[in-house]
Amino acid sequence: MAIMMAPGGTPEMARAVIDEGADAVYVGVIGWSRRGAQDELNDDQIRETIDYAAARGKEVRIVVNTLPSSIELPMFLERVQRYAGWGARGFMISDIGAMRMVKEALPNVHIHTSVGCGITNYEDVKFLGDIGASYVVLPYRLTVEEIREIKRHGKAGIEVFLFKTPSGGKICPGKCNMSSYFSFRRWLDAEGKDHFFGSASRGGDCLRVCQTEWKFNVNDIDIDAPMTIKTNPALWLEELPDYLAAGVDCLKVPGRDRSTPLVRDITRVYRRAVDLILGSDRPDLSGFAGELEILRGRWRVERNKRDNRLLSEAEKESRRALVAAI
Amino acid sequence: MFELCTDVSNLKELKQGDFSAYDAIYLGDFSCPEYPNNFSSHPALLEEGLQLVKSRGQKAYLRLYAVPSNHDLPWVAEVIDAALKLPFDALEVHNLGLLRVLREKGCKLPIHLGVFGNLYTHETAKVLKGYGVTRVYPNPELSLKEIAYIADNAPIEVLVPVHGKIPLVISETCFIMEHCDATKQPADGSCSYACTKDHWLKRGRNDGSQADWSLKDIGRMTLSGKDLCMVEYPENLLEMGFRVFYVQNKGEAPGYAGKVGAIYRAALERAAAGQEAADVAPALTALTDCSQEGLCNGYYFEGAGQRYFGRV
Repeated sequence: MAIMMAPGGTPEMARAVIDEGADAVYVGVIGWSRRGAQDELNDDQIRETIDYAAARGKEVRIVVNTLPSSIELPMFLERVQRYAGWGARGFMISDIGAMRMVKEALPNVHIHTSVGCGITNYEDVKFLGDIGASYVVLPYRLTVEEIREIKRHGKAGIEVFLFKTPSGGKICPGKCNMSSYFSFRRWLDAEGKDHFFGSASRGGDCLRVCQTEWKFNVNDIDIDAPMTIKTNPALWLEELPDYLAAGVDCLKVPGRDRSTPLVRDITRVYRRAVDLILGSDRPDLSGFAGELEILRGRWRVERNKRDNRLLSEAEKESRRALVAAI
Repeated sequence: MFELCTDVSNLKELKQGDFSAYDAIYLGDFSCPEYPNNFSSHPALLEEGLQLVKSRGQKAYLRLYAVPSNHDLPWVAEVIDAALKLPFDALEVHNLGLLRVLREKGCKLPIHLGVFGNLYTHETAKVLKGYGVTRVYPNPELSLKEIAYIADNAPIEVLVPVHGKIPLVISETCFIMEHCDATKQPADGSCSYACTKDHWLKRGRNDGSQADWSLKDIGRMTLSGKDLCMVEYPENLLEMGFRVFYVQNKGEAPGYAGKVGAIYRAALERAAAGQEAADVAPALTALTDCSQEGLCNGYYFEGAGQRYFGRV
């Protein structure tokens, strides 16, 4: 049966989604996940979350999905072993070298490949299964048919986000460095961990430069139509029965960087929807339409606020670098 | 002593361009199967391209499509089958699924990992070595120190791009076709080859209200607006132990690879011979003239990719 994972961007959010019926909560480690520190947990908070989940028969997945520097790998493995010792049952990882290290050191933990792997086909899923992945997360843009085909060929579990973009377009996350090209700042913390402001892949926020208004210029002539480079994903529900029928093993509620009330409400709705689908041959999801629309609206508002904040950080950092260079 | 290489997408460009400065050529455009007569998607053209490169005394590597979907796998397999019958010096993969396919097919050719293979660590390089990978193109986000660490700690050759636009993001569909005037597109949705024109994404030009940012879009791949330039550092690169250097040519005007290659050939040969560095200003001026948006050092010196930390 498919498990439902929900985000714990803060300890409060982690407790809320567990209380709302998530089977597992995923939490990022400061400096080691594809989000800024404000949406990650420190070690004390991680341990408390593991204990809280365990007391309720739930699991915790630890997000360590940066693409680290080579010299950070011993520190990475030490962290993973520490959390596994506290009772974490699975880890979300992008770097395949790091995956193999974890598989060799901790053969019984679940490895979830991160969306940062940027997979595009079922052969990718087979490759990651060979390396030791228990679950391979699929990109936001795949159709049910593509997922069915991947499930048929793959030997790892399939994990999907409960939000998606239209098919096609730029491959993000996983194959994009636009943010760090414009704004990138790096510093070491007291433990010697590198932090990368401006690169999601390396453990800081993506500064969402794709969401600003760009002008398209063709042979030196501006096309007077502002555009963004990439479409934002939206929550979805209607195809959920098809996804489950296709054999999806893990449903992932997004939103580590959203507010606790929003993520709590999304988790509540999806829990009810999944239970309805699993308990019926012909589930009628029409009753969720109104709630879903409201959640989509709240999601958009929070996303726009966050995008604007990150974009202004990108501009500030870009200017700072320019002044430093002069 | 060292290898200088670049890329060429099709036979026409291979025949018309001056690639005499290079030791090896990556054949094909890994980003767009629709690009006219792209070696990466036209198995019938491989032999002629390969022979032409070999006749010039150069090595020939074939680039495979970087982001195949499920429905692309059969035609990519045909390209692989054709390539495996020919004496290519290596195949380049970006997609780990295709790496697995090559192993299943018993590929004996050396395999190079391309820029979209997301190589960040020496441990990943070791995993890939087990699949037959002999050379890796590290992710552009890595600094020179991080690249050197990989080269020193994994039994694998490392390619170091020295000049050209940085591949930043790849796409499954054509951004240019999606945003061009629909009335000028073929009615059947086929490719209009609009990418033969220069397409730039720009922001904040001239009004002072925003940071000036630019990107070059070639349809299925977006490149940095500025050209990575390492012409000031050939001695440092050789001292760090790097021996394979690359000039990114995709998306550039005819003549770019020739001019840039000649400058780097001279700079690297001088450095390799231990000769005193010549005045780099003329080379920098010539390279700046080849770039519309100026030069940058990428991420090599631990800053944002578009910065230039040059000495001059």
